[in-house]
Amino acid sequence: METLGFLMDGFAVALAPENLLFGLLGAILGTLIGALPGLGPANGVAILIPLAFSLGLAPETALIMLTAVYAGAMYGGRISSILLNIPGDEPAMMTCLDGYPMARNGKAAEALAISAIASFIGSLIATIGLILLAPVLADFALTFGPAEYFALFLLAFATLGGITGKNPIKTVVAACLGLMIATMGIDNTGVQRYTFGILELYEGVDFIIAIVGLFAISELLTFIENRAGKGHQTIKVNKLSLKWADIRGILPSSLRGGVLGFIAGVLPGAGASLGSFIGYTMEKKAVGSKGYFGSGDPRGVAAPEAGNNGASSGALVPMLTLGVPGSGTTAVLLALLISLNITPGPLMFTQNADIVWGVIAALLIGNFLLLLLNIPLVGIFVKLLSVPPMYLLPIVTMVAFVGIYSISNTTFDLYFMTAFGVAGYVLRKLEIPLVPIILGLLLGPEMEKNLRHALDISDGDWAILWNSGLAIGLWAFAAAGLILPYIVGPVLRRRMRAANPEAATGD
Amino acid sequence: MIYNDRIAGILLIVLAVAYGWGASQFPEPFGGGSEAIGPETFPYMLATTLGLASLYLIIRPDPDNAWPWSRTGIELIVAILVLTLYAALLEPLGFILSTTLAVGTLCWRMGARPLKGFLTGAIAGIVVFVVFSYALDLALPLGLLSPLETN
Repeated sequence: METLGFLMDGFAVALAPENLLFGLLGAILGTLIGALPGLGPANGVAILIPLAFSLGLAPETALIMLTAVYAGAMYGGRISSILLNIPGDEPAMMTCLDGYPMARNGKAAEALAISAIASFIGSLIATIGLILLAPVLADFALTFGPAEYFALFLLAFATLGGITGKNPIKTVVAACLGLMIATMGIDNTGVQRYTFGILELYEGVDFIIAIVGLFAISELLTFIENRAGKGHQTIKVNKLSLKWADIRGILPSSLRGGVLGFIAGVLPGAGASLGSFIGYTMEKKAVGSKGYFGSGDPRGVAAPEAGNNGASSGALVPMLTLGVPGSGTTAVLLALLISLNITPGPLMFTQNADIVWGVIAALLIGNFLLLLLNIPLVGIFVKLLSVPPMYLLPIVTMVAFVGIYSISNTTFDLYFMTAFGVAGYVLRKLEIPLVPIILGLLLGPEMEKNLRHALDISDGDWAILWNSGLAIGLWAFAAAGLILPYIVGPVLRRRMRAANPEAATGD
Repeated sequence: MIYNDRIAGILLIVLAVAYGWGASQFPEPFGGGSEAIGPETFPYMLATTLGLASLYLIIRPDPDNAWPWSRTGIELIVAILVLTLYAALLEPLGFILSTTLAVGTLCWRMGARPLKGFLTGAIAGIVVFVVFSYALDLALPLGLLSPLETN
């Protein structure tokens, strides 16, 4: 087994004292970020990227830390779903269904513990899936030519909204905006494009500034508008009494949820929301009339939570092997890779094997750490829920300012970030999604490069873009990604909403 | 009435046209235009796609989200001003003072009591400054407080 050897090398990287330390730090920070109100995982990872830079961390250390943040945020997000019936992000919606009733029945501690165990199982299954699937997919991706890559990037944009997405045309608009911003600067034939003679724009727009502005600053503005400054009341959590039989009872649910979640995470366009939704509904079917779903069945907590975490680890597969992220948070992780000068994609598995496998091993270790952290420390994380956003968000804004300032020490970048924040707020109002903009910024240069290569090979014949079977398949998939939401989307969204009419969705 | 998407669509079409026109003004790349694809090809594709998508927004707009015109709108403008001033004053006033002012004002405007807000700002500013300067060895500007510098 070649993979096993690589994995062992990966463990050697991940267990190096510095990496282990930053991994642990990331896991704690991630759980905090997930638990704090008004800080989604993508947002949290985004504001930490500039800090990881200015600390001058080695690439593998930075990546291990932020992957741990990513995994931790998924753990932390469930706390507010269970205790407050407020899902931190869309995938957590299904956890509210049985988690909140359990908490109201005086079983909050059990619900939290069960969801931690289910999260652990889901992530573990998905990480094993990642280890098995990623090398195979990377090998396959080596056969891609520039035309296939171009089609693949289109596919990534087309499926980003997911089949539950609202208006695919708005995804197209957002993707165009991102790609347009990416064309600013000096291109690789040496021509200045859209620089308006401003020196700071010659090297193009730094996507870290755009990401932090679009996420963190626009979040602040949205909170101000909703006047959501006051915190939630502190919630008392009962003493944990979890018996072995309880854990055994949720094991099958967690296993099923984890596998379904992983598949949903790998497939473009499905994503974590669908992962937890399928996890929950399949579980309801599998258990049948013996269950009491909707009124506090522990299996109804375990299945979507395992599905959610399985999907988020599964989403790393396309990001690592193809360089094409399927979600906001993996897009932010991709931003980190690119700025560390690592070209994501199949070659990463040969050229940067230590980093890839180090991260995968760190994911495994991180899961154990998170489980160990989450059961005894849950009391502290629960207290965080009552931190009022009116103090938290200004401080987050400051962290964003410090992070961006410390990269280049110029105030120009800060104005730029603020402008992106205001733009992000307006776009949110128009329901134009922000993630495709970021993906456009990240993939723009690669996309244009591949288009150029493809047409150089064919001597200007555009037919090369759909000349191979593989490319045609990718185009068809991309088209389906844009058309399906019109057909399937309304039905699925209605069902998800009907399942949980009470919980309001944040984004 | 549905205005948001229609107005956005019109503005985006203007953007698409301006962007496409900008691409037509690019100078010939060095060494002549023998390549199959020039610096303007990809921008043309983007301008076309954005133009078509914006047309769709105008023809079939989504229902509007309300804009905060009243007091909340003023609060938003205040917040944006605070952020701009924060960026402008970071170097002249120094990190600690500007952070106290910016974080304090934001906390206050979001509903905290002014004293508590500014105290939060001051503490956050000092903590981050100390962590950055001593633990991480990164220099943040001291500004007005630079006479206090020990070394």
